[in-house]
Amino acid sequence: MIKLDALFPSPRPRRQAIRAEGGPTGPGEGQVTRKNAPHPSPLPGLGGSQSGERGRLRLILSIGSPVALLLLWQVVTALKLFPPEVLVSPAAVVAAFGEIIASGELQRHLSESLTRLGWGFGFGATFGLAFGVALALSKTVERIFGPTFQALRQVPVLAFIPMLILLLGIDEVFKVVIIAKAAFFPVALAAYDSIKGLPKSHFEVAALYKTPWWVLVGRILIPATLPNILAGARLSLTRAWLVLVAAELIVADSGLGQMMEMGRQMFRLDIVMVGVIVAGVIGFGLDRLFQLIQAHALRWKAA
Amino acid sequence: MDYVSPATLTASTKPTGSLTLKGIRKQFQFKDRELKVLSGFDLNINPGEFVSIVGPSGCGKSTLLRLIAGLDDSYEGVITLDGQRVAGTSLERGLVFQDHRLFPWMTLEQNVALALTNRPLSKAAKAKLVAEHIALVGLKGFEKAWPHQLSGGMAQRAAIARALVNEPKVLLLDEPFGALDALTRVHLQTELQRIWLSSGATMIMITHDVEEAIYLGDRVVVMQANPGRIVHTVDVGLSHPRDRASPVLHRLKDEILAELTNPPVEASSVVPLRKDQDQ
Repeated sequence: MIKLDALFPSPRPRRQAIRAEGGPTGPGEGQVTRKNAPHPSPLPGLGGSQSGERGRLRLILSIGSPVALLLLWQVVTALKLFPPEVLVSPAAVVAAFGEIIASGELQRHLSESLTRLGWGFGFGATFGLAFGVALALSKTVERIFGPTFQALRQVPVLAFIPMLILLLGIDEVFKVVIIAKAAFFPVALAAYDSIKGLPKSHFEVAALYKTPWWVLVGRILIPATLPNILAGARLSLTRAWLVLVAAELIVADSGLGQMMEMGRQMFRLDIVMVGVIVAGVIGFGLDRLFQLIQAHALRWKAA
Repeated sequence: MDYVSPATLTASTKPTGSLTLKGIRKQFQFKDRELKVLSGFDLNINPGEFVSIVGPSGCGKSTLLRLIAGLDDSYEGVITLDGQRVAGTSLERGLVFQDHRLFPWMTLEQNVALALTNRPLSKAAKAKLVAEHIALVGLKGFEKAWPHQLSGGMAQRAAIARALVNEPKVLLLDEPFGALDALTRVHLQTELQRIWLSSGATMIMITHDVEEAIYLGDRVVVMQANPGRIVHTVDVGLSHPRDRASPVLHRLKDEILAELTNPPVEASSVVPLRKDQDQ
């Protein structure tokens, strides 16, 4: 898999400027700060020629593997190692892409899928967060639901599909539930772990300054658990997208997965291939978007 | 730098910050064994005094500070501040830990201001206090910096600013410079002396560094472990600000180090490991 972080250089400028200026006074601290600063230039990352070149090199390296994959695909189809109806050529896929965009089919399926994702992820992540918090805060909740929670999260989401179809049918509710289930566990687990892992020192500092409880929660505990919870939510989103496409492949009357399934049934593997690529690009885009949100929310973290 | 002598400070302000510890006993339960951490600790600290406490690891120094700070209420004995019995934490007693404990998601300014959330002051008054104390520790210009952008020494200054922003009567320092390199430490000791002189607060500092203890302390309390107790109190008897090169400081340092490294041992309790190692 492509390393996502490598595709784009870090969105936030590395703030080393303050360190590089040295401590306010005194030789001792000045030396320490200068030693800590990795770059000699006053504002590194904001366009030194060195970092620009390195960024370009990184971009080339990360674009390399998709381009190589594309080339391989082109070569294999040109050599006709497989029947052209089975392994369609890149050109045919581009043509199919144009075709279903012009007919509005792709947009329709995609908006169906993304709407489902929104509802499913929204419900799943919200309930997951609430459940994880409750599980961490209450011994009773932990005793009652803990083992069930730990066991259920080991069951693959797709294993629930046959049963859920019987219970809920194949309408929207079913799909939203399946996605919500996929999104629920990573967030719940992250919330639980990060609350359980809160260091005693945070509470001691709050006690020393007689911090009111709402300030303790809002300005200390929530920010302290946020990095883990956001990481969990990001994982949830990726999982939800994977499960959504898979579920649509199995049962749906619309959506990206359904479009691919129809393509398969009509032996239009070019359309299937478009679906594969769109699923990959959308998944990548969502993850990248989330990463940007994460980077903004956690901008206080060391680079 | 303008130094304010403690005499003028105590004359202009009410003499507050007098701390009394009487018969402090503290034990931990450790696998059905009672571990005596402190046994009968008595100490009177005058308003505005700087007391250093040195002693080996496990002699209960840090526990003692936690009791004074009010982070731990299960002990025997009485701790009073200006005649009032200490119960729980209070803005009158500040504490600086060895690790700076700044919150990484708050800027320096926000970290210092957090200490003021429970004070019924106007926004402007709070901002003024924060700015004053950041300036006091020499971090002016770094108000908007995140903790990860500060060096270890700067972060510890920030922690001192946060502890002082409530203008506590007593500031407790638990090995505040223990994690810093030698050069930064010396520098911050000088700074702490200046801060102490200008704030007028009573300060109690725990340290492993005997030189630091003598350089800063009006008195140095020497403790021993098992159980934790005071073995010796040294009056340094030099006025502040002090000269590091003073022969008095060096003599005291040698004395205390000798005491800490060669505790008086009863001859009968020494059992040689092997006979042939005897001299």
